[in-house]
Amino acid sequence: MTDLQALVLALLQGVSELFPVSSLGHIILVPSLLHWTNIHRADPTFLAFVVLLHLGTALALIVYYRKRWLAIVRALIASVIRGRLSPDRDERIGWLLVVGTIPVGVLGVLFEAPVRALFGSPAPAAIFLALNGLVMFGGEALRRRQMADSGRVDRPIEHLSFAQSVLVGFAQSFALLPGISRSGASMVAGLLCDLDHEDAAEFSFLLATPVIFAAALLESRYLIAPDAHVALLQALTGGLVAAIAAYLSVAFLMRYFKSNDLRPFGWYCLLVGVGCFILSERGLLT
Amino acid sequence: MKLLALALAVIFFVLGALYGLGTINFLTKSGTTHAHHVSHLVVCWVLALLSLVWYRFQSSAESTRR
Repeated sequence: MTDLQALVLALLQGVSELFPVSSLGHIILVPSLLHWTNIHRADPTFLAFVVLLHLGTALALIVYYRKRWLAIVRALIASVIRGRLSPDRDERIGWLLVVGTIPVGVLGVLFEAPVRALFGSPAPAAIFLALNGLVMFGGEALRRRQMADSGRVDRPIEHLSFAQSVLVGFAQSFALLPGISRSGASMVAGLLCDLDHEDAAEFSFLLATPVIFAAALLESRYLIAPDAHVALLQALTGGLVAAIAAYLSVAFLMRYFKSNDLRPFGWYCLLVGVGCFILSERGLLT
Repeated sequence: MKLLALALAVIFFVLGALYGLGTINFLTKSGTTHAHHVSHLVVCWVLALLSLVWYRFQSSAESTRR
């Protein structure tokens, strides 16, 4: 992998992990579009590089939400020591995150490898990316109808029920499919549970943090794999670039979702997905 | 509920240990070719820990009712 390729992949990972456009789909499609035949996703060296990109992304999320995470962890520990739940906001959000992380933790460990072996090529990734766009359009339309028909109003994150948190966490698991966005799926589920766009995005990012971090830690064995010849400087620079890109992305998205919705990302996914599928069918993707 | 929480904790702990020792390979990436399935072990033990937390909440709620 050249330095330029490493830089492009790091930027791509940092941005697309948090934008609702599927990082995995982009990591599959972009090298195929650019005919980077020297990159093999199963190569231990590449896997070690990806671990550092994920660590960078997770660290960016932790740093961005550092005050919130500190309050949540403190509240969780206090509630375990106390032995009962309290109406504290941070504690409630903390347990919602714990409960919401269980589905993706279990399904990820059990099904990640077979799902990626089955769909980890450009054509399925392009189809799922287009589908991701349709899901966002569908989610926005359903939410508008819910609001109009039943007169529902937005409510804060801590008013979610544990069942709804599991639902959002379950939606996040669809991101195991290359092309389906983790944040997109969980945001749509959050919107359908009466969160507004800003809260749905925040809950989605908070929910993603332990998952990305744990996945990176569990895969950190690739960093010391005997057949992984990691270019240390390149990998560390990649991790740093991914972290900066992720930090700027989350800062931008939290501002964006104060007054905007998912539809622009839906259009992007639909157009890029359909375009890449056509290119793939014509044999123009390697 | 208290008993269920405790039973789940024990089941997940044992399941995790079996994955860690390589005794079971159900739904693992490398199947029998890889002896120790660390990811499965970690997830099972995290679930065991959460079951214990649930048990603690149930016990505490019970003693408050008394």
